[in-house]
Amino acid sequence: MGKKNQLKKIIINMKKSLLSLLLVFLCSNGYGQAPSKILLVDGFLHIGNGETIERALIGIENGEIRLIKNALAHSFNEKDWDTIIPLKGAHIYPGFVAPNTTLGITEIDQVRASHDFREVGVYNPHIRTQIAFNVESKIISTVRTNGVLIAQPTPRGGSISGSSSVMKLDGWNWEDATISKDDGIHINWPSSMNSNGWWAEPAPKSANKKYGDQVKELEHFFTMASAYAAGKKIEQQDGRLEALRSCFKGNKRVYFHANELQELQDVISFSETYKIKHPVIVGGYDAHLITRKLSDAKIPVMVVRPHSLPENEEDDIDLPYKLPALLQTGGVKFCIQNAGDMEAMNSRNIPFLAGTAMAYGLTEEEAVRAVSLSSCEILGIDEKYGSIEKGKSATLFVSKGNALDMRTNDVIIALIDGAFVELSNMQKELYNKYSKKYKN
Amino acid sequence: MRSLLFIGFLCLWNFVIAQSAPSNGMKDSKPTYYALKDATVYVSPTVKLSNAVLIIKGNKIERVGKTGLTKIPSGAVIIDCKDKIILPAFIDLHSSNGISKKEGKTSKSDGVYYWNQAIHPEVDASKLYSFSENAAKEMIKKGFGFALTHKEDGISRGKGALISLNPEAQSNISSLINTSYFSFEKGSSKQRYPSSQMGAIALLRQAFYDAQWHDETNNYLNLSLDALNRQRNSTMFFKTRDKLEILRAQKIADEFELRFNYLGSGNEYEILETLSELNSTVILPLNFPKAYDVKNPYISRQIPLSELKHWELAPMNPSILHKNGINICLTGKDVSSKDFWSNLRKSIAHGLSMEDALNALTLEPAKTIHAQNLLGSLEEGKYASFMIYDLNPLVENAVILESWLLGNRTIHDELSTENKILGKYNISLNGTTYPIEIKSGNGKKTLKGTLRYKLKSGITADTTVNLYVFHNKNDITLQFNINNSELNGSVALRGKVSSRMGVFEGEGLLPNGDWVKWTAIRSNSAKSKEKKTGFIVPADTAVETWYPNLAYGFSELPEKEPLIIKNATVWTNEADGIIENATVVAEDGIIIFVGTGNYPKPLGAKIIDANGKHVTSGIIDEHSHIAISKGVNEGGQAISSEVSISDVVNPKDINIYRQLSGGVTTAQLLHGSANPIGGQSALIKLKWGFSAEEMLIDQAPGFIKFALGENVKQSSSNYSRRFPRTRMGVEQVYYDAFARALAYEKEWQQWNEGTADEKPRVDLELNVLLEILHRKRFVTCHSYIQSEINMLMHVADSMGFNINTFTHILEGYKLADKMVKHGVGGSTFSDWWAYKYEVNDAIPYNAAMMNAQGVVVAINSDDAEMGRRLNQEAAKGVKYGGMDEQEAWKMVTLNPAKLLHLDDQMGSLKVGKDADIVVWSDHPLSITAKVECTVVDGMVLFDKKRDAALRKINQQEKARIVSKMLQDNNAGGRKRPFYKKKKGHYHCNTIGEEKSTEENHH
Repeated sequence: MGKKNQLKKIIINMKKSLLSLLLVFLCSNGYGQAPSKILLVDGFLHIGNGETIERALIGIENGEIRLIKNALAHSFNEKDWDTIIPLKGAHIYPGFVAPNTTLGITEIDQVRASHDFREVGVYNPHIRTQIAFNVESKIISTVRTNGVLIAQPTPRGGSISGSSSVMKLDGWNWEDATISKDDGIHINWPSSMNSNGWWAEPAPKSANKKYGDQVKELEHFFTMASAYAAGKKIEQQDGRLEALRSCFKGNKRVYFHANELQELQDVISFSETYKIKHPVIVGGYDAHLITRKLSDAKIPVMVVRPHSLPENEEDDIDLPYKLPALLQTGGVKFCIQNAGDMEAMNSRNIPFLAGTAMAYGLTEEEAVRAVSLSSCEILGIDEKYGSIEKGKSATLFVSKGNALDMRTNDVIIALIDGAFVELSNMQKELYNKYSKKYKN
Repeated sequence: MRSLLFIGFLCLWNFVIAQSAPSNGMKDSKPTYYALKDATVYVSPTVKLSNAVLIIKGNKIERVGKTGLTKIPSGAVIIDCKDKIILPAFIDLHSSNGISKKEGKTSKSDGVYYWNQAIHPEVDASKLYSFSENAAKEMIKKGFGFALTHKEDGISRGKGALISLNPEAQSNISSLINTSYFSFEKGSSKQRYPSSQMGAIALLRQAFYDAQWHDETNNYLNLSLDALNRQRNSTMFFKTRDKLEILRAQKIADEFELRFNYLGSGNEYEILETLSELNSTVILPLNFPKAYDVKNPYISRQIPLSELKHWELAPMNPSILHKNGINICLTGKDVSSKDFWSNLRKSIAHGLSMEDALNALTLEPAKTIHAQNLLGSLEEGKYASFMIYDLNPLVENAVILESWLLGNRTIHDELSTENKILGKYNISLNGTTYPIEIKSGNGKKTLKGTLRYKLKSGITADTTVNLYVFHNKNDITLQFNINNSELNGSVALRGKVSSRMGVFEGEGLLPNGDWVKWTAIRSNSAKSKEKKTGFIVPADTAVETWYPNLAYGFSELPEKEPLIIKNATVWTNEADGIIENATVVAEDGIIIFVGTGNYPKPLGAKIIDANGKHVTSGIIDEHSHIAISKGVNEGGQAISSEVSISDVVNPKDINIYRQLSGGVTTAQLLHGSANPIGGQSALIKLKWGFSAEEMLIDQAPGFIKFALGENVKQSSSNYSRRFPRTRMGVEQVYYDAFARALAYEKEWQQWNEGTADEKPRVDLELNVLLEILHRKRFVTCHSYIQSEINMLMHVADSMGFNINTFTHILEGYKLADKMVKHGVGGSTFSDWWAYKYEVNDAIPYNAAMMNAQGVVVAINSDDAEMGRRLNQEAAKGVKYGGMDEQEAWKMVTLNPAKLLHLDDQMGSLKVGKDADIVVWSDHPLSITAKVECTVVDGMVLFDKKRDAALRKINQQEKARIVSKMLQDNNAGGRKRPFYKKKKGHYHCNTIGEEKSTEENHH
């Protein structure tokens, strides 16, 4: 009874001033100390699985979603909740995901000292991004404010770049930010078309020949690794081979970064040959040409950044925009990723990549799924993340309008595992500071 | 006047045969009087004499005429040339024959030479030339007897020398033919400047100005400038690597009233209109691209359509040019002798007549260097330089039997007689008759054969063994192994071929050591290939050149058409704001109506029903680096105001079309940010399909790029020793530059007032700085942090000009008040940051904050990808800082128009402005907005429906050419593997001529 007296009914209206007061209150306790029972009322719920509830009741308890109801059909008892947030007119989305990114392991592109994503060496499966993940990255604080709450910091370079992990974009340290430790290793599949030279003077050696050798080299490595994984008694511990063990038996993904048709075909047969349990294609520029084969092989694709230029002069000028829709139509499981120029800072534009994919053929909810549930399924974390469903982690955000459109993406609440996320960042602070300069 | 001069030269020039070294003992016996009779002689491209006599005396042709009608002088050595073809020796105007690549430091800057090592007109090929037997042989194999050779190095390359490839004479060279060579290639110069094509252009222009000045003042000795002045009256050759370089060089020719002839690159068919207006000769290569190996469809699908189209069109280049009235010569440069001949015939198959092909190899080059009275044909009095072929090489594969160069005879090959003995014979040997057959072997002169015999008498089946046949003139050797009842072992027969042919007789050695007589009588002559006159199968020449000649090119250029766009939601960017249900009418490229109600209906207007759609003026990208060739930065100097992007616009960049598809109609193509004072801009309309000149906006105000901060400090290089290395240095670069400009201005003032002794030289760099000081050229400055922005405004204030635009300007929000006071606009990114140290304080609210303070704000791309969706970037102004939607939209339309001083012409939908119009499927700031059609100057250059059709046409065209290539592959045509070129785009910080595949540093 005494506890109930302390209960705070918080009515949020959508005006900004009140909202910021609310946020000050909510965040004053700091990360991790969430109200234990939260009810989000009347918001437009984008579940993430393709479905919506126009006016939803979302109940959260101890970081978990315990209740999903249609508000029009269900009433609730105010006394059951610590915090009730009315969200009529606002949109609720599962936390968006930035897979295959250097977010959190780099800070400034041109300052090498801030880079922690490219290790020396060719075969580095044992290199792990998890422990380099910087929860205080200034970039991260500008990314989650647009609704991106989960990332997969991914190493770069070499033939096998290393192991990625899936991380929450908030936490005291990398340990408690971890969602999935060492979720997969990343292979830069040899390029079937590249040459040694540079573009104006191609090398005289046949690119194809070299491609075959490079694929063989990978095969050799995987033959070793699969034998090592099959061995019952380990004579001598090998860090590299050990890192591949659970790609054959456990849940670890193998991410094949590959784009061209020849490469994709080879990745499919490679995955079959080595009985890789969870192969994933990253890039897949030509994947739309073999959708049948990919869906038969059940290999998902983290599709090339939609905001990129077509590879070839005669490609459809909107090909990268519509690749997600082409894969959707072709029945290939896919999600959107953002690797490329300035990828860390550009992670905040992932909602708009989904928006562009929507403009070019996906339905709105397919587009939402492509940056939430589908991503989490491919990353292997969909049991707890990726959609707003009963039993899942309360990792979600609220936007005043459609989060896939630049004009209406306005994130007012974000929760990670039921805890309110700080929605301020250095850029907002500078905005406030210098706005004052001009007030006089 | 000039023609008179040339007559002077003609009298002077001659091949001077050097006095040879004294002979040891008696003089070698050598005839000097010859009569070649019964040949087919191509006296000139148009005169062919069969059964002709060619009489040569010394190194000249004395007479040529029909056998029988022409008296063969007594004392002449008579050579029988029956069935043989004589063509005049070809003349190659594009050669470096006999000029060592390594030898001779030709780039000098010490001494009384030009300051830049790439300008060395004083280099004289005749002084570097030495006879190289191998190089000469290579050219003779292609039928060439003369080469105009030069040192292929640098921008101003020096003087050429005409050489004869005659191996006998030590110095068969004439340097009196007055020629000179130029290019845009820096070559072996060790200096950093110029590092880009626009730098090379500026440098060459400056050199011509300097030469003029040197000529007028003539106070100092400068060997380079003296030579350059002399070359103004020479036959000038400009070497190009692409058709666009011809257009660029021609601008220089026009500026200085020069006449360049062009050493072409093979894609000149794309600039026919311009070329046919020039009075230039174009020397065309025959190194047509080989077919790609297209058997693997995974690989063939990667070959760009533009390369396929060029493969198909390249063999037509000579004929297309010729048919358009352009003087052409052909060169043997960069092609093997085998490919030379087959490609020559290929160009004939593709429409060049035999006469015209021969003309382009003989008389036309002779005329080009004003040597047609001595070279180029076999008329009386000309040099006796020709080749004797077994067949007509313009028609079929032929062998050069003899070369005659300046009257000097060299026998290369003799007509084989082998084919005359082919056939079936019966050998009588030791009383037995053996049937044999002699066939031609693998090589041209090898023979092989078979011999049949019965193993045992009574057996009907024959055994066949190989017969080894050796034949030399009248001698024949046959050898075989046999094992029958009579002979067991090896038999070797030697004999003579009877003059009647068909009978051999001689002696032979049997396995048992007996020496016996043998004879062979022909039973059946081989079906001798009836000597047919070869002919050339005409190739399919119904091939289209597109505008531009790559994917999504037009087969016919669109024209301005009257347009009525009705029922639209119209974003005027004017006081009317957004008008629902409105109509926009354009005629002759100009907007004539915007509004509701009655509207004018121009005759034949195309009506676009934009019901439910939005219509805006075209997007203007204030900061772009697309459509630029060969370098976006002139990084060789910290101040490069003399260079201009407008010199190097590349209209064939697919990104032009891609940006049209995003509603962009105008762009400022900026110089990069490597230098505190960079180069001049090009302001273009994205007129896909048109030439660079047509894209440049008429009467556009001049702009120049400045840059501050990390890029000009060369922060990403640990090795740079270039000044400046700090922001402090950057400030001083400006003060120093403008002080120099003012001093220069004073020199000219004094000269014009008559108070100076010496006329100052024209300085292209300082001229442009003066334009800035006099507010005749506007500055767009790459900038990031507030300290440097503040500094530059102080520099400008103190020098009496103002900065027009700060671009990037990511800390503009910190000093928007000062910007307003200075009167400078800001062209920025919507949300970029974290790419370099100096963007730490970049915030996405910047645009809205500057805008709120009254700064004219634009959102630009600086990126070929983002340039396609600037509408999305503008929409971020709504998200970050809560801008009004129409205000946000102006950031990519009206505001950049203002910043470019083009707002009286574009930037809004208003009567009188250019008809640059975009029809959007949806609210233009929404994520779902797609462009339905883009109009530039009243021409529909992007249209969603046409785009869909073009995609299909691209694929069809590609499939058609690939299948043609496949036929070529299967027919054993020469092919090459495909290598994918790495994708590259110019960034602000790209140094050098090649595009960067590095990270963008902006």
